[in-house]
Amino acid sequence: MQKIEIDPISRLEGHGKIAIFLDDAGDVAEAYLQIPELRGFEQFCVGRPVEELPRITPRICGV
Amino acid sequence: MPDKFKFAFMPSASCGGCEIAIVDIDEVILKVAELADIVYWPTALDFKDHHLEALPDGSITVGFFNGAVRNDHDVHHAKLLRQKSAFVVAFGACAQMGGIPSLGNFWTTEELAHRMYDTVPSVNNPEGTRPQLKYDAPEGELTLPRAMDRAYALDQVIDVDYYLPGCPPQVKWIVAAVEAVASGELPPKGTVIAGTKAVCDECPRERSEEKQVTEFKRIHLVENDPEKCLLEQGIMCCGPATRDGCEAACVTAGQACRGCFGPTDNVNDMGAKLASAIASITVADAQEEADRILGHLDDPAGYFYRFGLAKSMLGVQRGEFKPEAE
Ligand code: SF4
Ligand code: SF4
Ligand code: SF4
Repeated sequence: MQKIEIDPISRLEGHGKIAIFLDDAGDVAEAYLQIPELRGFEQFCVGRPVEELPRITPRICGV
Repeated sequence: MPDKFKFAFMPSASCGGCEIAIVDIDEVILKVAELADIVYWPTALDFKDHHLEALPDGSITVGFFNGAVRNDHDVHHAKLLRQKSAFVVAFGACAQMGGIPSLGNFWTTEELAHRMYDTVPSVNNPEGTRPQLKYDAPEGELTLPRAMDRAYALDQVIDVDYYLPGCPPQVKWIVAAVEAVASGELPPKGTVIAGTKAVCDECPRERSEEKQVTEFKRIHLVENDPEKCLLEQGIMCCGPATRDGCEAACVTAGQACRGCFGPTDNVNDMGAKLASAIASITVADAQEEADRILGHLDDPAGYFYRFGLAKSMLGVQRGEFKPEAE
């Protein structure tokens, strides 16, 4: 099966890649979106003073 | 000198704020466009790795790298940018010293993943599915980068020429860096392109010669005097150990400094420096009194290492996947 990979997806913040598989007729058989990033906000915000979070969570996405 | 310089902007474990800061230079971007061709900037234009790979080694005048180094793909990108660039600039707090993502270095990567994929309230994952480095989909193979043991600063992975500090860097220092390249008057290698003193030296708030703190308070629980030093009012402020150059932006806006410009010159460990600064202004006659006062400083790790845990001497090595193991 032919595979078209778009990596990285450009013109956006954040990380993503797309894999598109084509069947023998050249039609799309399946497409996958993958997010290849790990930073850990879900964990490292825990236990921080709540008034500090407006200064931490904006760094999830600064666009 | 070439007719036109070549610039590249490489993102990694970042938030995009650094790249917005580049756009924030407004009309100066026209000057940049006159001065340099942008040969790689996937966040703004449709660039792929092969565009970078095809360039001759050392042919990029300046490679700007933003974000922390968090997985083997980031390591590959850092090394590729180094190979292709005459100068590499660590752009922003994440690249300079790990930034906010390095707050995650208090945990192992496995602990972070456990929270993210298993226990976070917004996730429903009864089968415990996790990202795989390789996945055999029915149609073919899918791959993902491998997360390292922790977040790294750029200079822990490649040789770095200059640093543009801040989260994100400020327009005037980006412009100063571009002007230095344009004029050919480059500062010594390793220079942090910002001020040379501390945020306190730029801060408009009044402070006494001898700071004395007898109590720490959370900022929303006091009506703070906008004219007076926050630290002297018992509100934790990282100004004394943080490099100046931001014109005390947060403090002027009524918030305490959290150290995004990184440490002043000759400071090895920003957190240690802040701990010693705080200790020296805390006034207590007895140990119990000191314990009581400092006990109200509710998240010292999060204040002292907010933007720079990757560069701390604490630098816990977890024994998992490290950049040199690539
Ligand atoms: S330094 Fe700040 S603005 Fe830049 S990528 Fe990191 S979090 Fe975002
Ligand atoms: S400690 Fe904070 S508020 Fe006080 S002078 Fe320094 S920067 Fe200003
Ligand atoms: S005051 Fe501190 S946290 Fe705010 S921009 Fe300046 S260095 Fe960064």
